[in-house]
Amino acid sequence: MKLITNIKLAATIAFTHMRARLKQTLIATAGVTFGITVFIFMVSFIQGSNDFVQAVAFEQSPHLRLYNEIQTAPANIIDRTYPGNINLVSHVKPKDILLNLKDGPQVVQALQQDPRVAAVSGAVSTQVFYRLGSSSINGTINGIRFEQENALFNLQAKLVEGSFKELATLPNSLVVGIGLARRLNVKTGDRLEVTTDKGNNFSVKVAGIFKTGLTDIDKQQSYASLHTVQRFLEVPVSYITDIKIKLHDMELAPAMLPELQAKYGFHGSDWKQDNSALLEGDALRKMIVYGVAVTILLVAGFGIFNILTMMIYEKMKDIAILKAMGFSDTDIRWIFLVQALMIGITGALMGLVFGFLAAYGISKMPYKSDVMITLDHLPVSFSAVYYVTGFTFGMLTTTLAGYLPSRKAARVDPITILRG
Amino acid sequence: MNLIEVRNINKYFYQPTKMQVLNNVDLDIEKGHFVSITGKSGSGKSTLLYLLSTMDTDFEGSIRINSEEMQGKRNRWLADFRNHHIGFVFQFHYLLPEFTALRNVMLPALKLARYPPAEIEHRAMDLLQLLGVDAQANKRASLLSGGQQQRVAIARALINEPLIIMGDEPTGNLDSQNAAIVFDLFRQLSSERGQTILTVTHDDDFARRSDKVIHLVDGRIAD
Repeated sequence: MKLITNIKLAATIAFTHMRARLKQTLIATAGVTFGITVFIFMVSFIQGSNDFVQAVAFEQSPHLRLYNEIQTAPANIIDRTYPGNINLVSHVKPKDILLNLKDGPQVVQALQQDPRVAAVSGAVSTQVFYRLGSSSINGTINGIRFEQENALFNLQAKLVEGSFKELATLPNSLVVGIGLARRLNVKTGDRLEVTTDKGNNFSVKVAGIFKTGLTDIDKQQSYASLHTVQRFLEVPVSYITDIKIKLHDMELAPAMLPELQAKYGFHGSDWKQDNSALLEGDALRKMIVYGVAVTILLVAGFGIFNILTMMIYEKMKDIAILKAMGFSDTDIRWIFLVQALMIGITGALMGLVFGFLAAYGISKMPYKSDVMITLDHLPVSFSAVYYVTGFTFGMLTTTLAGYLPSRKAARVDPITILRG
Repeated sequence: MNLIEVRNINKYFYQPTKMQVLNNVDLDIEKGHFVSITGKSGSGKSTLLYLLSTMDTDFEGSIRINSEEMQGKRNRWLADFRNHHIGFVFQFHYLLPEFTALRNVMLPALKLARYPPAEIEHRAMDLLQLLGVDAQANKRASLLSGGQQQRVAIARALINEPLIIMGDEPTGNLDSQNAAIVFDLFRQLSSERGQTILTVTHDDDFARRSDKVIHLVDGRIAD
């Protein structure tokens, strides 16, 4: 109780001091405000862009992928026959394995029952040459069941013209990426040739054109029905090469991957491995934002430190007289700490407001991008976390900037000043 | 009854070299007395006053005020003790310049918080009236004249009804007319209210008219 009345009294003295130095106080507050504003604005904008780029990339990237890979046999037959000897076999060739997933369709069905799994799609993907006239472009064909794949990647939204529905009804039809369509100069309804790596030629019809926004995919990929691709490859209907999984909680993916690999014996990767460069870039950008914000706040902190230190030199007499009256060292410390805290709280709150306004303003700016088709305004994140962080940052710097001078004030020796 | 009992005080200064300022000082001050400490500059009279004020804690010996030992007490305890029992009047007035005269008088009482703020304001007003500066109550302290400031400072020293008022040359920076007013005020407080007063002065006239004079020569009390 006594403590509260003491702090209250210290606060009223602090307010009188601040009112007497209104201009300096306002400048110090403006420094903090500016620091927090820049922090909120930058972090909102950068996080918004990160989120957007991630959303584009992750829409094309399943949370988990299961597939087979060509690899060298781990042990050769001589080793197995003569286990005690030192056997040298030079230039072992990779084992010829089928790229299909054993019992793939059954695994897909089993995974659909898993409560953690939101959607599963089994697909065949293969390298082909797209040929029209004398030009020949290599790329991949994904053989999919449209309903399954659409549940994972929202393909329908990426369709520019034509239809995915025809894939199932019209044999030998493709939906091609927009970059690929441009290179081949084809549009919906045109025909082109596809050559598989076994040398078989097929005449196919373009049923539609899609655009994901990721150039690498748009320039060389196409979709066909699962059966069409299986027929191109001359494989049975149970042949699938990829199982793509979407989870309810994507953070579970790295933990689930080894479990599935152990259970089914396939290779696999999760979204964090597939997009590690992207995620790393996000982390680095965020570090830059925090670096800039901390620098600005440090400068603002020095401003507060300077103003309080100067005020303490001016107020030496007052401090001495207050001590003579019966104010303890702690009371004196509070007087100056309260000033720093008031500057900090006001500055930080105003910074949050201005930061929000700046972020809101820029989120309304029209922005057209050829790469990111779904983008019409600048992407901005309004996550509350950054507002809490910004406020905490502001308070920490100002408290520290106020604590050092206030400790100095508390240590003022009244006698040397009163004796003159 | 002795309000202040000082036994065997030794005090040293360490800057620039070690030097003894007070040498085995013993003294008693009775309640209700108006006591002056005199001596040449450098005789240790101010040093003695600041030891008695409890602000200087670096000494050997024993100081008891109102039967409480001051030696070895903590800053917070001493500050609280000053707040309760000691009122100060300095040579250079030392009001807080940004506050009004009234607010200056109220501050020690607000710190003490024995009465609610409205009651404190009332008491402060009464004191300003007693000292004849009630007309200046709501002016900022920096706008008052020297004599007015010193009277406000005396009102501030009185607000918590202290056991003792200490003055460091309270008339030293005033013209003769204001000095006479301040002296008469002290005299009046002492005789009418039984207020114990202890001042350092080099004004012989001031000293002669107090109840008791303690004369210091080279850090010792001269008989």
